[in-house]
Amino acid sequence: MTSKKNEHSCSRREFLSLAAKGAGAVAVVLFSGDLALVSASSAVKGADLAIGGYDPTRHRYIYLVDIDKCIGCGACVRACSHENQVPKHFFRTWVERYEISRSGEVAIDSPDGALEGFEPRATGEDIGKAFFVPKLCNHCSNTPCVQLCPVGASFTSPDGVVLVDQERCIGCSYCVQACPYGSRFIHPETHTASKCTLCYHRLTRGMTTACVQNCPTGARKIGDALALGDEVAEILATRDVRVLKPELHTQPNCNYLGLSKEVR
Amino acid sequence: MEHTRHLWRMAVLLVLLFVLVIVGRHFAVPESFGAHGFYRYDAVGEIMAIPAVHGGPESCRDCHDDMAGAKAAGRHQGLSCESCHAPLATHVSDGDVAAPMAIDRSVTLCARCHVPLPARPAFVPVVNLREHLELEEGQPIPEGICLECHDPHDPQP
Repeated sequence: MTSKKNEHSCSRREFLSLAAKGAGAVAVVLFSGDLALVSASSAVKGADLAIGGYDPTRHRYIYLVDIDKCIGCGACVRACSHENQVPKHFFRTWVERYEISRSGEVAIDSPDGALEGFEPRATGEDIGKAFFVPKLCNHCSNTPCVQLCPVGASFTSPDGVVLVDQERCIGCSYCVQACPYGSRFIHPETHTASKCTLCYHRLTRGMTTACVQNCPTGARKIGDALALGDEVAEILATRDVRVLKPELHTQPNCNYLGLSKEVR
Repeated sequence: MEHTRHLWRMAVLLVLLFVLVIVGRHFAVPESFGAHGFYRYDAVGEIMAIPAVHGGPESCRDCHDDMAGAKAAGRHQGLSCESCHAPLATHVSDGDVAAPMAIDRSVTLCARCHVPLPARPAFVPVVNLREHLELEEGQPIPEGICLECHDPHDPQP
């Protein structure tokens, strides 16, 4: 009886071990890619990043806002809304108006993101200085929004643009809360995170962004740090250029000329 | 031999678990995920494939060379055609005219740049509309009044 039982269990063991070996072998063949990822993690490969003739490793986008040139017309906001089908009352870029009285009172407004520009405002204050500040995603090199995305939906492309994978985003809005610049929102229809893509679909076609193209005074400029003789790169190298909230060490790639200390 | 049977069972279970994780991972993780970082690289191509809505001044010049020429020499040379009219995609699709281009003759359009504001830089010509039009108190600003004197493609003060 015992010998029979042993014989039986032995063959079962053999069967199981054989089956496991077989399954393992099949898995190795079928899922070798996954095995490679498990064993060697996801090392960034230099090659095969090009998509349709566009090689993102050959670009590094930098943005520049010249506050002295912004006239507050809101053409950039309207262009962005059209280009990216931005839902009503949400903004991927907006313009803020700063009016600072001689006594130091700071009044900031941005009616509907300056989609329709600005109306005169009766403040009664003795205005010492006033200016417009266009804002957008700063495409930070050290961005909190990408770091805390739990599903890898927020990412920085190899050319330095912070993007959202609309298929992966679960709409948890951690990134919306994490962005110190208020650049993100949850899209009311898709319920996923939405933000400025630096018109990635245009840049990669050799076009400029909708906001830069529609700015009448050249207050907004986009450049490529890897391009020879780039205008924006030259300004960054030679002028007094600042970024928003440098104390946060987010390393923004959106730079400002003529940024007053009151701007937050 | 008898006493190592439970170890064998454990080993088999572990192997099965490993295979299960690998198979599960294969279906749960998108193909290009992790190829170039902790994200799905295919998403980059998907964002690149979004169609452009604005064509830029060059696309307008293809058909409207006359207008573009007049504007290029004038004070409005910095303006993009599409910022006063409408994006190219509303007018042209697949290289053919799909709908007439919007023409905005409203005072609001001009006012967005030319109404005096403390924050507006001095290089922009501004005008107090009520004073400029010598309107009485409460009298409405007539729609399209700006274009009666000023050509938007080559405006003079």
